[in-house]
Amino acid sequence: MTMRLGVVFCGLLLAVVANSHAEEMPASFDWLEVVAFAGHQTDYSGVFVYQYDNRVETSSIIHVTEANGEYEKLESLDGPKREIISHNGKVWDYINHKMVLVGSKYVHSGFPSLLPEQLSALEANYKARLLGVERVAGYNTQVILFQPQDNLRYSHKIWVHTDSGLLLKAAVLGDNNKVAEQYAFTQLQIGGKIDRSWVKECDSAGANAKDQPPEIAKDIKPIDSGWVADMLPSGFKKTLEIERNMHGRHAPVTQMVFSDGLSSISIFIEPNDSDEDDDEGLSSRGAVNLYHKVLDKNLITVVGEVPPRTVMQVLDSVRYNGK
Amino acid sequence: MKQKISVLMDGELFEDEADSLLDHIKIKRGSDVHNDWEIYHLIGDVLRQPEHIHCGLSAKVRERMQDEPTVLAPRVRAVKQRLRTIALSAAASLSAVGVVAWMSLQISPEVAPQLAMQQTAFRPASMHIKADANDYLMAHQEFSPSADMNGGTSYIRTVSYSKDAAQ
Repeated sequence: MTMRLGVVFCGLLLAVVANSHAEEMPASFDWLEVVAFAGHQTDYSGVFVYQYDNRVETSSIIHVTEANGEYEKLESLDGPKREIISHNGKVWDYINHKMVLVGSKYVHSGFPSLLPEQLSALEANYKARLLGVERVAGYNTQVILFQPQDNLRYSHKIWVHTDSGLLLKAAVLGDNNKVAEQYAFTQLQIGGKIDRSWVKECDSAGANAKDQPPEIAKDIKPIDSGWVADMLPSGFKKTLEIERNMHGRHAPVTQMVFSDGLSSISIFIEPNDSDEDDDEGLSSRGAVNLYHKVLDKNLITVVGEVPPRTVMQVLDSVRYNGK
Repeated sequence: MKQKISVLMDGELFEDEADSLLDHIKIKRGSDVHNDWEIYHLIGDVLRQPEHIHCGLSAKVRERMQDEPTVLAPRVRAVKQRLRTIALSAAASLSAVGVVAWMSLQISPEVAPQLAMQQTAFRPASMHIKADANDYLMAHQEFSPSADMNGGTSYIRTVSYSKDAAQ
């Protein structure tokens, strides 16, 4: 009996030792700022794969920084051809040699992209660990794991180029440390001679776009909707609350965005004009989970890179706290 | 006695009884009790996996063990080793306490109802997101501050979503 117990203890001891050994190298959350900064300031072109569920998609990307901001071109290399160009928060689809404005991204006011309070929220809710050096796309990278302190968010593993600070690979780990989704560069050129011919096209399209003001921007207005969610995981702070038009919706949709610095959760609230009562349900795509439910004639939708239990918990806590 | 062995193998014998019976089996190698013990196990093995019958396995293992070279290692550190064993087992019990504490932390009361909820209210999460749900995904992505952390690569999901919408 004693011997069997001894064996069990040894096993536990080994597990604990292995664990504490890995914890010997805590990583700094400053890495995230390095990554964010490098992602914006570096010129690069390359090919990356994006993998989620049972699918793999390959895309090419070119990112250059000019005096008047960043330019980025994304092109899907498999499936239907799709080109997306973005510049200073505007997003164009490149269709039949014509640039069509399709959206605008919420532009953050300057650097750093991680606010100090977000950093402290990260420190409170994740444990960062250095996992050694690995090669990705021919470059040496530092592997860093961000492990949540609760089971309401996913682990994030990132591979950061040791010289430039560029993010060369990133994985979101779901339950049992299974990869929920990941992307990784397979080929990458950092700096040097990079094709910039498309930048001019983007500029001229941008000039033309001034004639027809982008409706997207005017469709979005900040509001104080009065809706609240009581059961957000700790550290999730509201970063945005807007009223917006959405494709195929008659009435404007209220969108609230919350972030803990690594993951974010959006809550959409709109009048339920669908006749179907069967609108409740959970679906997922890679690391993103979506849950919707009708609540007092409103259709509530919660989307986020968090586990299913979290989107459900958040949705069930949504209530109207206005006048 | 045979019946006792059978009960023991079914795991239905009380602990003190089982201990004394096991001692009995261990001490009297080659005795009737020991043989019965082996035969019962053989029967169990045959019933479970008839294609692999280990007949007289322990005898064969013993035979092979005798052919193994004997390792002649110096026993200088016997005392030290014992000390270390004590230290290790102390550490082991400590760590066991740690693990138990950690486990009880993991199973906090608010988790349990969540898990229960998951089991009942879950539809398969692999259910693919419907086309109109793509709008939400894109809208979420558009304003997701964490996407910005990835710098240039923040549109990865967007490409994938809008491709579906176009189909």
